Amino acid sequence: MVRVLSVFLLASILHGGVYQTNCVACHKTLPVSIDKYFYRYLLKYSSEKDVKAAMYHYLQNPSKKKSVMAEAFISRFGVKQKSKLTNKQLQKALNVYWNRYKVFGRLR
Amino acid sequence: MERKRLLVSKSLDTDLARSEKQTLYRIATLYLLLSIIIIFGFSFMYYTAQKELMLQEKKAELQQDSKDFLLKLKQLHINFDKTQVYPRSKAYESAIFDSDKKLIFATIPTQLSLHKILYLQDAMIHLVSIPESYYLGAKYVIIQVKDNALWYERTKKELLLFNLLAFSVMFVIGYVLLRLFLKPMRDAIHLLDRFIKDTTHELNTPVSTIVNNIEMIDKTKLDAKTLKKINRIDIGAKTISNIYQDLTYLTLGNKIVVNDEKIDLGELLQERVDYFKSLANAKKVFMEVKIVTNTSLFIDRAKLSKLVDNLISNAIKYNKINGYIHIILNKNEIIFEDSGIGIAQENIVKMQERYTRFNNVSGGFGLGLSIVSSIAQEYKLKIKIESEEFAWTKVSLQW
Repeated sequence: MVRVLSVFLLASILHGGVYQTNCVACHKTLPVSIDKYFYRYLLKYSSEKDVKAAMYHYLQNPSKKKSVMAEAFISRFGVKQKSKLTNKQLQKALNVYWNRYKVFGRLR
Repeated sequence: MERKRLLVSKSLDTDLARSEKQTLYRIATLYLLLSIIIIFGFSFMYYTAQKELMLQEKKAELQQDSKDFLLKLKQLHINFDKTQVYPRSKAYESAIFDSDKKLIFATIPTQLSLHKILYLQDAMIHLVSIPESYYLGAKYVIIQVKDNALWYERTKKELLLFNLLAFSVMFVIGYVLLRLFLKPMRDAIHLLDRFIKDTTHELNTPVSTIVNNIEMIDKTKLDAKTLKKINRIDIGAKTISNIYQDLTYLTLGNKIVVNDEKIDLGELLQERVDYFKSLANAKKVFMEVKIVTNTSLFIDRAKLSKLVDNLISNAIKYNKINGYIHIILNKNEIIFEDSGIGIAQENIVKMQERYTRFNNVSGGFGLGLSIVSSIAQEYKLKIKIESEEFAWTKVSLQW
């Protein structure tokens, strides 16, 4: 039992790790907090499946056209560089991101 | 011996014949059923139209509520990091769903449909709208308000009035049409009915005269040749009299005056056997009544005589020359046993049907067993038939 819990904890840290290391670390330096991007995506794509798919495609091949951010924001900060994460790592990071900011279960 | 006759009421008016009544009922049922379907169809269409009208009237109000809700949802979306309190209103309830139709949040406890834009469910009016931007991921927004059901009460009253009116009109039209369509059939049946009744009525006097006069003849004063002829006339007249009685029973069935009384069965059986003696003698059939236990029944004398006559008449008619008929009276049954031609097993069940005849050896109209069955049913008497073809038949009348 203890072993199972340890493995689960480690896996969670590792997942959170991908997100922390590869997403939060860079976004911290920007004036717009990371959650704002999430709600921009939610505003446009609605469901978990569609939001994750849109984010995934953008991170794989970022472009001005695919971006959900405002014109002024892109003009100032530009389009991000292509992600160097593997597909699996990217999916894991997106899962952590979704779970951290999703609306489900938070409204009261 | 004077024959007991079926008493009929003096009224000569006729009821509708049974077949005509049946046809009338069938057509009337079909017509009423169709009328109900048509009225119900119209009512349903009217109700649907009224409901749609009410929904359209409410639509503008709901759209305004939806707009108000979306503004609040937008505010929440912008400030979601600060507050997560779902926007509520006293004027309406709401629910939001994502693009996969997964419920995000609702103040409505019931299951909701996203397939229609505007609908009524559980006395609640629902408007489903799709905002341009999906605040908090809400692609589908449902606004729900209570239906005050005023339109429903009004429609119900209108429909009740309409249905009553329509049904009355349809009923009158139907009645007139039925009378119109059935007139030729009614006339034909009445003509036939009247003919049979008149004929049987006209037969009564001559047949009674023949039978009574033969009975009055002092047979001891007759020579053998004349006696033989008189006996033949007696047999013929009694046969006609039986047919007359059967026809009277069947055609004037509902006009027969019922006079139930306590009947001594031993005495009645002996009387009927004596009446048929000449018929039995002509065929050299030996007929006797064995009274094991004499008993009585509370029954109409004429009807019981008709029942017994038919069973004895059949036993004679389908008997062999030099055969026998034993009539045994027990406490709870009368048995009519004969040495006749018998009945095939497959025909025993069918044989009580009217006009069913299973051989063509003897004449007659085949009315007998139908009458027996009808009287037995009326007095809850059980008929049991046992037989061996070409050997014997045993008919038991039990109570």
